[in-house]
Formats: sequence, structure tokens, C-alpha cells
Amino acid sequence: MPGPHRYCVLTIVICLTSPYLSYAMSGHDMHHSEQKQEHAMVYNDAGMVMNHNDSDLPFDCKKISRDYAFTIHAGVAYARDFPGTVFGMDQREITVDPCSRITITFVNEDQVRHQWMLHGLPKYLYDQGMFTLEAMGEHTQSGTFIVPGDDKTYLVHCDLPQHMEKGMKGQLVVGRGSGDLWSIPGVSREFRQQNYLPGHAALIFLLAIMPGITASLIVFARCGKIKS
Amino acid sequence: MSRNTWIWGTAIFVLLISFPPQWYPEPVRLQLAAWFGADAYRALPESAQPSAVKSEIACPEDVLGWREAQEIAGVQIRRSLNCVADDPYAVAAFVRGTNNIPQSVLMRSGLTQDAIVKGRDLDNDGDPDEIHIRLEVVELNGASPDTDNLTTQYAIAPGIKPGLWVFVPKMTGMATKNFESLQARSLLRLPSPVIRIEQGDHVFITLENSHYMPHTIHFHGVDHPFQDADGEGNDGVPLTSEVPVMPGQARTYDLQPRQAGTMFYHCHVQSHVHVMMGLQGLFIVEENRPNNWLQTLNIGAGQVRYPSVSVKENYDREYDLHYQDIDRDLNNRIQKTNDPRLVTKSLHRDYNITTASSEYFTLNGKSFPYTFRESLVIVKPNETIKLRIVNGGSSGIALHTHGHKATVTHRDGVPVQPNTGIVRDVFWIAPAQRLDVKLETTNDGLHSYGEGVWLLHDHQGKGVTTNGIGPGGNISAIVYESYLKDNGWPRTFGVSWDPYFSAAYYRKEVPVWQSYAENLSSEVTFDGWLILRLLGLGVAAGTIAALLILQFQGRRS
Ligand SMILES: [Cu+2]
Ligand SMILES: [Cu+2]
Repeated sequence: MPGPHRYCVLTIVICLTSPYLSYAMSGHDMHHSEQKQEHAMVYNDAGMVMNHNDSDLPFDCKKISRDYAFTIHAGVAYARDFPGTVFGMDQREITVDPCSRITITFVNEDQVRHQWMLHGLPKYLYDQGMFTLEAMGEHTQSGTFIVPGDDKTYLVHCDLPQHMEKGMKGQLVVGRGSGDLWSIPGVSREFRQQNYLPGHAALIFLLAIMPGITASLIVFARCGKIKS
Repeated sequence: MSRNTWIWGTAIFVLLISFPPQWYPEPVRLQLAAWFGADAYRALPESAQPSAVKSEIACPEDVLGWREAQEIAGVQIRRSLNCVADDPYAVAAFVRGTNNIPQSVLMRSGLTQDAIVKGRDLDNDGDPDEIHIRLEVVELNGASPDTDNLTTQYAIAPGIKPGLWVFVPKMTGMATKNFESLQARSLLRLPSPVIRIEQGDHVFITLENSHYMPHTIHFHGVDHPFQDADGEGNDGVPLTSEVPVMPGQARTYDLQPRQAGTMFYHCHVQSHVHVMMGLQGLFIVEENRPNNWLQTLNIGAGQVRYPSVSVKENYDREYDLHYQDIDRDLNNRIQKTNDPRLVTKSLHRDYNITTASSEYFTLNGKSFPYTFRESLVIVKPNETIKLRIVNGGSSGIALHTHGHKATVTHRDGVPVQPNTGIVRDVFWIAPAQRLDVKLETTNDGLHSYGEGVWLLHDHQGKGVTTNGIGPGGNISAIVYESYLKDNGWPRTFGVSWDPYFSAAYYRKEVPVWQSYAENLSSEVTFDGWLILRLLGLGVAAGTIAALLILQFQGRRS
């Protein structure tokens, strides 16, 4: 593990090489049982790290281009600046070079679980294409991963039900990225937009029509006079 | 004749001949019949061809072997005869405690190491008496800011996914079966889990509020102090004992129940809304016995796969039965908008429970036919079975046991007088009320009429429907093992169940007897001739109206 874990008392690494175990972990979905590569879930008192990788290079990288370290704070406190969200992170967009090695230190300031879960990594290196840090309430978790060489924007979120929907969403931009994702607080709007109209919106519309009609009538009347 | 006269004449003629005869007043029709005789025969509209129904598999295969009797981490887990069983690894973790099992078992259970912590044996009788339970709050079938697909999906019946909030054990990893799937993991479901502790246990229950609204836990009927040792509120009632647990926060409740019995727990924040959203579960205090390791949680209620020592003394099997009803106008509000402020207002201000009615009726979080996958009361002759029943719904239920008269032993966790034990076949259960019922399968014409597949359901008509479509609702059955196939599905001799396993059936798209009486079942096609007449009538009336306006204008100028 890179860097000391403040809460790391007991660390157990279990490699899920058996297709049966992997099947059990993925519930009833059959196709994951076919994947036989190793992936590691590391459990510690702070929570769980999945698919930590500080040495295996993606196929399209000859060497590690650069090392990054980010500390990300999470909790309801970071939702305050974004109306209509409840959960949040202090950094919702991270930009890195292709083939770089990234160490995330995830500081959970709430008293409930949160996750920093990344999707879209190559599946030959990361089981289910994921890298995950899970931090128990008021705990800090860290881990490392290496990104491939192509320009791509990766989804980062907390997978607790409704946490992403209510604000815990971000993106990792590798190189020039591949376009912003939707509904990232401070970065992009939601795709399915709400109407924030007052209850008497129809009345307002009607009130606006009347001056419109009056103005038009006046203009038409004047024009008519000029001609005649 | 002028052009106008021609148009007038044609329009009136078309108007008269296209006017449907069945719309004439009765005296006119009788007079016409007297003059011209009865109308000639014309065939009625054709019957519609029944559409093919795509059905789900009634009983999915038990690929993971969860139904088998098995020993995990030293816990002897009973066989589950129902088609769909609980995860035995979770059962083992609930019995031993997530702090006392091998890491491999813990991983397969999906729970965190601190989910169920079992501590010291306070009375030196061979079982742990310090129990620390951690619960989170999960939203099922919720909204997304980006798609119309619901999040963390859970179907109560084919195609029916009402918005729900539930207490769940603290777990690790993903909330869905995998990243590609939208289906909730098996630990995340309705109803909230049954909590089982022993009389005298020192129980800590930490509510880790992972949801975006404030919540609490109120222990209904369970012996607990109003305030804990530190003077903190311990009753879960925002009005009188404590400020609710806010999103992202946690609170630990502390109780040591002196009395045994079948009790209840639920959120007490805006309880007319939060309880009905699903934040409610059975809370069972078992009698104290030596070496009494308990299955601290029973996910989704149903069969208890590791019954307590005291239950085993008197009963062959034990089933937890949690009845609920759902007003979809309330529950689906969380799906209509993603902004928590709009959701909050919609649920707590716009919704008015005094004018509400329920459409969905569930047993252990499912409606028929899903109830038959996992909530059958499976029995053998000459057994004694313990049923612990709660009505978590908004109105009473009249539970009827076909083929059996059973005995109420406890009401609201308190034993009824031994000689006044009430033997009956309809059990009226008020909202939040619990009944302990002793079901005896002695074939004496009273307690049981013999082996079979005997329905078990609320006898109020609406309770056996899903939004008014039957069969649906909370229908389950008492099934004798001799009537059970190997896969846990009952051998039935009536109609095909295929239509009931389709979402189309509950969308009202399948004619009621389509599967067994095609000719009776068909819906009627349109009457094309009548539609043509209506079109003619409309055109003629329009022409006449136009002529009238032209004439009126002509007179003015
Ligand atoms: Cu979170
Ligand atoms: Cu609540």
C-alpha cells in the first residue's frame, strides 16, 4: 500500500481468482463468472479499496508519464454551495496526463459511508473496469491506479443509493478528455431538467400575452394610418 | 334551385341518415319500428385476437445453491424450501456476528465488519448479550437527474416498482448487482429487515443516515428508556425526544428489553409519510435461553432459517410475515423530480394522506405472484408452526387461512390467556398491530382439513389485487411439502399462471380469462360502421353551422 493508513490495523487481501467467488460477488449476473483475471479487494478498518494498482501498465503505455496525488474531501458540507444537492465532494473534476499514476486520498467527513468509484478503466487490468475507495464514516482511505494513454473522461461517483443523484458525482479527465459528463455540480447541467416555475405560471403567461396583443394592435393601427 | 339550397339539402340528408339509430329517443324508435319493422340483422363487431403474453420464469433456478441446508462458519442453516431463498452467507453473519466470522464469509455476505457486532456474554449462558447493529437508509426505485430509468431497482410484482425507503444492514461495495445492472442487491429490498434479539440483551442500534432526508428509529412496543444514559433522546420521536438524524449523520440508540415479544420499529419523522415509504420492520425479542445464538436480522422477513432455542422448544418452523400497503401517489413522488427540495415539498406538503388510498398490497415486500417465490408458509402434517405477523399498512387487514383454523397466542407481543387462545380462520390486524399465531397442521377438520395448497390472504377485496387487478396483492399460501416440487414451486391444478408473470397483465392489457377461455376472454374490436356514421354526422353538422354563420353575416351587411 502506498502511504501509511491512519486506521489500517488489519489488512487482508483476498484475490478473487475463483470464478465461483467472482460470480457470487456480482450477484446473479452470469457474464462476470467468465472473467478470470485477478482483482483485489483490500479491507481495512477505514473501509475497502478495490483494484489498487501502482505498477501494472496499460497496454498503450510504455512508462508512467507522471505521478499525481489528490486529497478529496467528501460529505454533506460540500453540497452547500450547490442548491438542490445533499451530498458532495470538494473536487469534482480532476485533470491528469495520459499514462499517469494517480493516488487518491479520500477523506470522508460524514458519519456514514461514502465511495470514490471510478468507471471505464480497461477490464484486462481492473475487474469490471472499476477502481474504488470506500471510506467508513469519519475515516480516510487511499489507493492508486494508472490510467491508459488515450484521451478520455471517466465517471467518478459514490455508489450509495441516491448519493450520485443528489450531488456526489465528478469526472476524471485524462489528456483532453472525451467531453463533459452530465449533472456534475459546478461543471455541467442535469440532462433531465426540472421546471422551477411557480404554481401560477399559466397566469403569468396570460398576463404577458395581453401587453403583447395591445402593443401589436397599436403598431398595426399606426401603420394603417400612415398608408391611408 | 340555388347552389346554397343544394348544400342545405345534402347536409340535412347526410345528418339524418348518419344519425345513429340507437341515439333516437325510445318513443321515436318504437314508432319507426311500428312503421318499418325491426332493424335488419347486422353481425356484432368481431372478437379481438388475443395477443401473445411475454412471461417471466415463475421460479428462477437456484444457481448459487442458497436453498440448501448448509453449515457456514459453524452455523447450521436450515433448508429453505421456497423457490427463492435468503443468502446463507448473510444468515451466518447475522448469527455469529460480522466480527466473529472468517473474512471469506464476511466478503460473500457483502456486509461490513461492523454491521452486526456481537460482544460479551453478560449472563454467562453461552451466547453473546452485547449486540451492536448498524443500519443504513436506502432509497429504491428513485429518480435520476439524467435518465428516466429508476435507480437501485426493486420490483414488488412484474413491472411494478414503487419508490421505497428501507432500513438495510450496513454493507460494502456496489448497491446494484454490478455496474451494468440497475437491479438492487439482494440485501436491499422491502420490507426493512426483521431484527431479532434476546430478552435482556444490551442492544445498540446505530442509524447511519445515508439518505437525503432526516430520519429516526422509534421502537414500537420494545422496552426502551426514553433517554439513554447520557441523557440523549432514545425514543426516536422528533416532537418529544430528539432532533432527527440528519443526512450524513449517525446516532446510536441504546436498549435492554426486559420483556419478550413480537414488536415493531419505524422512523418517526413525518411518520404519516416516512412509515408508509417503507421505513418499518418487525422487532422480535426472544425469550432468554442458554446457548441462544439468534439470527439478528431476517432479510425480507419470511422463513427464519436459524430459529431461536425458545421457538424450537415448541415449534417445528417459524415464519415472519410483514404486511404492508402502498399508495403509489405517495411513493412515486420521489420518482417525478430529482431535486430533494422539490421531493420534500411534494411528500410533506402537497401530498394529503387524509384523501389517500392504497393500490399495492404486499407480503414481505412482494405482491402476488412474486409472493409465491419466497413467502409461502411451507408445512408438513402434524406440525406446529409459529407465524409472527405485523400489519404495517395504513388500514386493517382481515387475514384468512384457507383450510386451517389457527390460534392467536400473543397480541402486540403479550401472551393471551392460555385458555382463551382464540381459534379462528380470519385474523383482524389493526395498523402496527402484531399477532403471534400458532398454526397446527393436524388433520382433524378444525386445525387443518388435510394436505394441499391453501391460500393465505387478506379477505378484503382490494387486498388481493394490484391496483384493482386480480389476482395480485398479498395472496400467498400454506403449502404442504407433498404439494411442493423440488424447485420450491407448488403443484397447482387450476389455471395457467403465465399471464400473472407479465407486466402487461398488471397494465390491464391481458383479457381476464385469456389463458383458459379464449372465446370468452376476447376483447371486442371497434364498430367501424358506427365510426363512419359519426364522421358523416360531424361533417354535415359542421356544414350546416357554416351555412348558418354565412346567412347571419349576409343579413347584417
Ligand atoms: Cu456517498
Ligand atoms: Cu424518516
